[in-house]
Amino acid sequence: MSLPTARQAELVPQRKPKNQFWLSSIGFVAPGVLLVAVVLYLPFLWTTYISFTEYNGLGDPEFIGIENFRDMFADPAFLNSVLNTLYWVLGTIALPVGLGLLIAVLSHGLPNATLFRLPFLIPYALSGVAVGVIWSFVLQTNGALSQALVFLHLPGSELRWLLDAPLNTFVMIGASTWQGAGVNALLFGIGLQSIPKEPLEAARVDGASGFTLFRTMTWPMLAPLTTVVVGLSIVGSLKTFDIIWGMTKGGPGRVSETLALTMYKETFINNAYGLGAAVALFLTVVTVLASILYLRRQLADSRSI
Amino acid sequence: MRKKTTLAAAVLTAAALTLAACSGGGDGTDGGDGGDGGDPTEAVLSFYTDKAAWEPSFDDMNAASEGVTATLEFTGYSDPTAYDAFIKQSFRTDDKPDLFTWHTGDSLAQLVDEGLIAPTTEIWDAAIANGDVTEELAENYTYDGEQYCVPLNVVYWVMYYNKAVFEENGVEVPTTWDEFMDVGQTLVDNGVVPLHQMNIIFEFVWFQAILAGLDPDAYNGLSDGSVSYTDPVVVEAMNIWHDMQTDGYFIDPGVTTDPQTLLQTGEVAMAYFGTFFTGQLTDLGMVSDTDYGIFTLPNVSADLGDTSVVVETGPLCVGAGSANEAAALDYSAWWMGVDAQSAWSESRGDVSFNPGATVTDAALAAITEEVNGDGFLQLRRYLEATPTPIYTVASEQFGAFVTNNGDPMAVLEAIQAEADAYWAEN
Repeated sequence: MSLPTARQAELVPQRKPKNQFWLSSIGFVAPGVLLVAVVLYLPFLWTTYISFTEYNGLGDPEFIGIENFRDMFADPAFLNSVLNTLYWVLGTIALPVGLGLLIAVLSHGLPNATLFRLPFLIPYALSGVAVGVIWSFVLQTNGALSQALVFLHLPGSELRWLLDAPLNTFVMIGASTWQGAGVNALLFGIGLQSIPKEPLEAARVDGASGFTLFRTMTWPMLAPLTTVVVGLSIVGSLKTFDIIWGMTKGGPGRVSETLALTMYKETFINNAYGLGAAVALFLTVVTVLASILYLRRQLADSRSI
Repeated sequence: MRKKTTLAAAVLTAAALTLAACSGGGDGTDGGDGGDGGDPTEAVLSFYTDKAAWEPSFDDMNAASEGVTATLEFTGYSDPTAYDAFIKQSFRTDDKPDLFTWHTGDSLAQLVDEGLIAPTTEIWDAAIANGDVTEELAENYTYDGEQYCVPLNVVYWVMYYNKAVFEENGVEVPTTWDEFMDVGQTLVDNGVVPLHQMNIIFEFVWFQAILAGLDPDAYNGLSDGSVSYTDPVVVEAMNIWHDMQTDGYFIDPGVTTDPQTLLQTGEVAMAYFGTFFTGQLTDLGMVSDTDYGIFTLPNVSADLGDTSVVVETGPLCVGAGSANEAAALDYSAWWMGVDAQSAWSESRGDVSFNPGATVTDAALAAITEEVNGDGFLQLRRYLEATPTPIYTVASEQFGAFVTNNGDPMAVLEAIQAEADAYWAEN
């Protein structure tokens, strides 16, 4: 060990006052912390408080304990909303994610694969409400789809796509697939490109091909990206709002509502801010729990590989 | 030294950011031009409305009010829900709106209860004495004996019909309910859909129309809890509606094409709407009294003396304690007069609450005169007449009923369950 040089001695703090270091650190961190506290934590705490009150947006909230939560779980419309949200989560994982993967895998390695994927990506540029308006034109009674089915002498023209539950939820998941599959294909495409070629070639030499090659090699190596895509889809589907608002507004009655719509309607249309906040809190807890459970499992799996 | 400078810089940055965040929102009283006690003609009122599309008409009103009273600084919202939330939140700030449009009924009562609206009793007294407005209309604006706000507009709910479709099918404007049913049946037999209806927004209007024409006292009784939704006469009204749906009198609610387009193309022969519908038909190029006509829906019960007609009115309110409250009240008084209302009626192409105002559309002028004359009973629209929690359930139930034409009794029992809960607490 050599003696410290003069330069090194200069760099070593001489009885550095610890408090001063902490104070300057706090000074630098404080703006960020304040911003996060004001725009994220405070609204969350306020929403949590409001969920235990009766409040119409005017005057002062009146504390009523857990009554909003009791009303919420006793309301059949809320339970139906939970069921619809579940349809959306399962449907979104199965369709936009599944279809996105299929498009990516089929187009991977093809010359001009981008040209193949691009048409699927275009709807993603539209807002959810615009997608809703387009699809409600297609799916309304005697709309474009029913007329096309009649013209082609196919069954189904008598179906009331947007009026009957749960059919209306299923067709709206279809509309969401039309919009969202392309971006998933893009993400999976990037994932496929990042997979090293050597293990795949080695597997091919060992005789693996087609679906076996995909199942045993490509799919496991795609796992980190799949985790991200599925994780984002779960969160996105839990808070689905715009497409439904553009197509059925949660109706007829309340049969196609999801939790996000229930939250919005209770708060801003029915002026039951307390009940709306209770739904918001429930949705937040479900979203966070789903994310944690899913990510934990996925990350634990990837660690064990 | 360097450390101290760093520390000071960091603390100052934090303080500056905090101050910047706290100072946002301002003092809210920018201008206050010609505010309280000043010359109202110099005042510029902050004016908010959820009728963004009506901006040209408010520009016309600014031209009409020049040199007479204040000028409006227009801010229009096109999403009514966002607008309602905005107005409520604005009352929690120092930047209260001078003048804003709102809704009558429960929504207005909420603002009045919180003391957020300036009373307008004196303005109403003067306007009633002048003959600028009827006393019946004042009921929509009265809370605990005081009036609040002035009417922005008034809408009569009447029947619009496509004249060519009526002619082609050899049917005439009905004057009794039986004749109305015959017209419907003839049209059904000829393969024409007689009536429009929707399963959202206006899903309640046929319940309103039938019950108001069957028993107006029962209709009014629902709004104060003295009549139950399961009373026989209400059940009878629902059954009539149910039968009309069964008999194919209404268009499929899954058709989401605009009602004005459906009436223009003849896909429906008639549409029961507020008189604001005239503006929508005019926008499509349809000519009043040539392409379409208007008539008041006959009573379901032939035994009633007066014909029931539903009236909808929306208020123009002054924020209590706003920067230009006095000037806004002055504007409100001017708004109710003949000059302002004639200008408004001409600009909107719509009816006015002021009987002295000139209504340019001949058909609307005739309807206004008719429903304000003898032989008509004006009733409040169901949406405004019903307490919000009951209306919320009712609109969901009626929406489902229009969609599926299910059991009328189940619909009424569901609404009554909410009504029981509401009236137990209020």
